[in-house]
Amino acid sequence: MKNTSSHSYPRVVAATAATFFLFTFLSNLIFVNTASAADIETGRQKAQVCIACHGAAGNSEIPEIPALAGQTAQAITTALYQFREGNRKNPAMSPFAANLSNADMNNLAAYFASEKRAASIRVSSNDAVAQGPELAKKYNCVQCHGPLLLGQQHIPRIAGQQHTYLLAQLKGFKAMTRADMDGNMSSAASILKDNEIEILADYVAGLNH
Amino acid sequence: MRFRRSALVITFMSSVLAMSHLSTNAQTQNPPPSWKQGMSPEAESSSLHPFNPIFTGTEAKDLQLSKLKVPAGFKVELYSDGLPEARSMALTENGTLIVSNRLAKNVYAVVDNNGKREVKTILRGMTAPNGVAVIKGNLYVAERDRILRYDNVEKNLDNMPGGKVVVDGIDPTNGPGHFWKFLVAGPDGKLYFNIGSPQNITSPNQMQAAIFRADPDSGQLERIATGVRNSVGMAFHPVTQKLYFTEHGRDWLGDDVPNDELNVLSKDGENFGFPFCHQGDIPDPVYGKFNTCAQSTPPILKLGAHVAPLGIRFYTGKMFPSEYKNNIFMARHGSWNRNTKQGYDVMRVVLDGKGKVVKYEPFLTGFMTDEKADPPMWGRPVDVQVIADGSLLVSDDYNGVIYRVSYSKDAKAAK
Repeated sequence: MKNTSSHSYPRVVAATAATFFLFTFLSNLIFVNTASAADIETGRQKAQVCIACHGAAGNSEIPEIPALAGQTAQAITTALYQFREGNRKNPAMSPFAANLSNADMNNLAAYFASEKRAASIRVSSNDAVAQGPELAKKYNCVQCHGPLLLGQQHIPRIAGQQHTYLLAQLKGFKAMTRADMDGNMSSAASILKDNEIEILADYVAGLNH
Repeated sequence: MRFRRSALVITFMSSVLAMSHLSTNAQTQNPPPSWKQGMSPEAESSSLHPFNPIFTGTEAKDLQLSKLKVPAGFKVELYSDGLPEARSMALTENGTLIVSNRLAKNVYAVVDNNGKREVKTILRGMTAPNGVAVIKGNLYVAERDRILRYDNVEKNLDNMPGGKVVVDGIDPTNGPGHFWKFLVAGPDGKLYFNIGSPQNITSPNQMQAAIFRADPDSGQLERIATGVRNSVGMAFHPVTQKLYFTEHGRDWLGDDVPNDELNVLSKDGENFGFPFCHQGDIPDPVYGKFNTCAQSTPPILKLGAHVAPLGIRFYTGKMFPSEYKNNIFMARHGSWNRNTKQGYDVMRVVLDGKGKVVKYEPFLTGFMTDEKADPPMWGRPVDVQVIADGSLLVSDDYNGVIYRVSYSKDAKAAK
């Protein structure tokens, strides 16, 4: 019932309303019975706050803000957890994460992971297109993020991610100011030269798979 | 003679040059990533990647508890969920369980609230607080760079006072590799902890790849073992009081070498081989030139390659059958650095009266679902702890939960 009350819908005759409520009630029941840990629909509703910045369906159009559509669920829960607990800090993001429960995070992650990532509109420079693939191999990006950089488990999809966001993360890992897991990403970024960070971010942001 | 001497000098000089080349490599501003160190050209295209915990935890109903297997008469059940990245466990004198983690920032206590188990967050905003130990009612927490003391933990669970720094400066390079500490209280009332190798395979500095003893009152440190790549599991034998510890072997020598190790410290200052010698008998392809395996203490048990042994405890409870007395229980986290996975279980190690290993067998299994899958497991044991009723707790950082293994004669008879 709570689900429907947040939507405004036209006044309808009692019988229709009753049928509607009954339908919603039953589908909720069925849903509760079949839902596993995470609930895409609940996540979709909770995500209305997120899309103001992260874009419709999590397809960000802002260079500083990461796209979430098609991101791996565990990468999203990890990021939300890190923001809530203060491992990662961002004045825009931290307050939103502060009040999320673990279940909220699982639902949001399930929802955004289920959305389709829109094509990246970024056109990478010729240098990035020429040197990017080799650098991504040389510095082990493809080893963990996968051959197409689509991510897996807790390792995020980076292909087609927003450029400024990618740059900031790589610089943060290199400086060891960006929260890491067991050190692998800081370690990987520690040997990147500044111009290689520019090339990698440019290349990866323009990938469309 | 003159010729011979100059040949010797040249040999010596080239060794020095080789050594200095190695140490330059290890200390340059841009070393290879810690996990990539020592990777062979063939391994560079490997798609092996680390696994990491589900920080938001797994709800009890989604755990695959029915897949877990224990010997006849034993039973495994969920003890507590809601413990993000549950790793090291310590007990207060009253039996309150303290649970910590490596990548999260909080320390938790699991308390009994009128027969209902409740998780309390007792410390917040810590930096890699992987090590926890209790001495005389005080809680010690090892962060990546220091050890803090919290007085009278049992009485202050709801409002912990600020910590007092007991030991500082134990993160000598502040790098991304092996920064987490395991902490255990010795029978002498002192603290024991590791400082790991900063990288997969490298020449460690004087403080690294070692085990230390710390006086909790004065903060005085003693380096009691060297050549230990990284130990995240230590326990004292209840009779001999010798320190037993697990050690992770290096990566990228292959799927089947080197073995991870179970070691015993027989005297202060003992060397366990890293980076020169692995598993007691394999000279390192690079560093093996500078030392022989004969110069270090071999493990008392080879544990298998890339099984990632973590917490160990001796069984001192009364619940399990008598043959379990003073056995070692060992949590094996399971490694990502192997094409066919192994580990992800709790092993039982039986020692004879002289401390020699006579049996090494699985005790709690069923976390691994498919040795070739990615991920291959649904849970990963990290630490074990014997609680007052004699049952055994097992922490699982992947799901953020703790299991309890108990024993009943009746259950055995029923089978």
